Amino acid sequence: MNMLERYLHAVARLLPKARREDIIEELRTNLLAQMEDREEELGRALTDDEQADILRRHGNPTLVAGRYREPNLGLAFGIQLIGPELFPIYRTVLGMILGITIVILAVVAFLLSRTTHETITLARLLAPLPIQIIVTTLIFILIDRGKDHVLNRWDPRDLPAARPVSEEGPTGRNIFRLLCQAVGTAWLALTPHWPYLMLGPGALYLPAMQVQFWPQYPFFYGAIVALLCAGLVLDFFVLFRWLPRRRARVIELALRGLGLCVGASLLIHGPNYVTSPYKEVANWANETLYICVVIAVAIHVWLTASELRALVRDRHQMLPAGQH
Amino acid sequence: MNESLENLKLELRRGCLVLAVLAQLREEHYGYTLRKALAEDGLEIEESTLYPLLRRLETQGLLTSEWREEDKRNKRFYKLSKEGKPVLRQLVEEWRALDESLDRILREVRV
Repeated sequence: MNMLERYLHAVARLLPKARREDIIEELRTNLLAQMEDREEELGRALTDDEQADILRRHGNPTLVAGRYREPNLGLAFGIQLIGPELFPIYRTVLGMILGITIVILAVVAFLLSRTTHETITLARLLAPLPIQIIVTTLIFILIDRGKDHVLNRWDPRDLPAARPVSEEGPTGRNIFRLLCQAVGTAWLALTPHWPYLMLGPGALYLPAMQVQFWPQYPFFYGAIVALLCAGLVLDFFVLFRWLPRRRARVIELALRGLGLCVGASLLIHGPNYVTSPYKEVANWANETLYICVVIAVAIHVWLTASELRALVRDRHQMLPAGQH
Repeated sequence: MNESLENLKLELRRGCLVLAVLAQLREEHYGYTLRKALAEDGLEIEESTLYPLLRRLETQGLLTSEWREEDKRNKRFYKLSKEGKPVLRQLVEEWRALDESLDRILREVRV
């Protein structure tokens, strides 16, 4: 059944994370039943060709996954431009492209306004977005035109080998990732004692510039390091499966909530994080730190919101109909 | 021309599928046996259309489902929900009225 697993893996990669396991389990059951029925009919095990035939008739993994995403949505102006199979993928790709562009533009606009004091109009800032929408839409319209030729020309035997989608468990890659996380946390924890770790040779100028952090700084810095350490311990427990995944996600969400409180406090106190008799040095350091805090909090809010949405969606999926 | 005809046939069938699935699920089925039952009654549905449709109808509250072991394998069984029963009744009435109208109209058409 290796071919079936490769097929299911190809579908799983394109499914929404929250429903992935459930849908794949159901597809596996149905396809296995179909294969067993055919075996019973033939009185022998299926050949590779016969298995491939069943999977080919079931449909291209991209189209199959697309049908599980959003029902009956498409893009049409009189005639259908992007069909319901490709529309969910189009929407995801467009959302990702626009999201990334907006974040980059916001950061660039913020930096430009701080450094050049130039006023940037909204129209100028958003100018690249319509071009991206048009280009992405055109590409998808072209794909949709040729989808029957492109997406139907596939062979289940050519699908890549299946790997665990969730990447759970103590694999070499996951252990390496945890080690990197540990090194990063240790680096951050040691930086106040050895500023050289962050500033390099520039740390030698710190005493001469008489840079002083605000008095509450050790508390906030300690809180950030403590939260990172807690996250590290949590990831360690998850890696070795000593903690149920669902409970780990709730704890992770709680840690993120605490992280948001710390971030919000830092934003409220900003941008006066350091003082120095040299005004320019203090201004430069404060602005740089403020930008870093804004970016970190924005990323944190986005990750927390995504995690919260996934948890709510999972819970919704687990409830029987009528209790939603 | 063939492509247009195929699209028209697909559109024609699309509305009937929901009715057929709801009616068939007065009795509990899991995906594959439901598909077989529909096919035995002359309504062939692609798997990649049927299985997502079941999810959608469940989300709409018309079906309920539960995972249960049968023949040493976990299967997701679907059944018409309490809310789905009156909807099916109304859809059947609508279908019969539509069928009668179409029958009158099509009597004039020579094939």
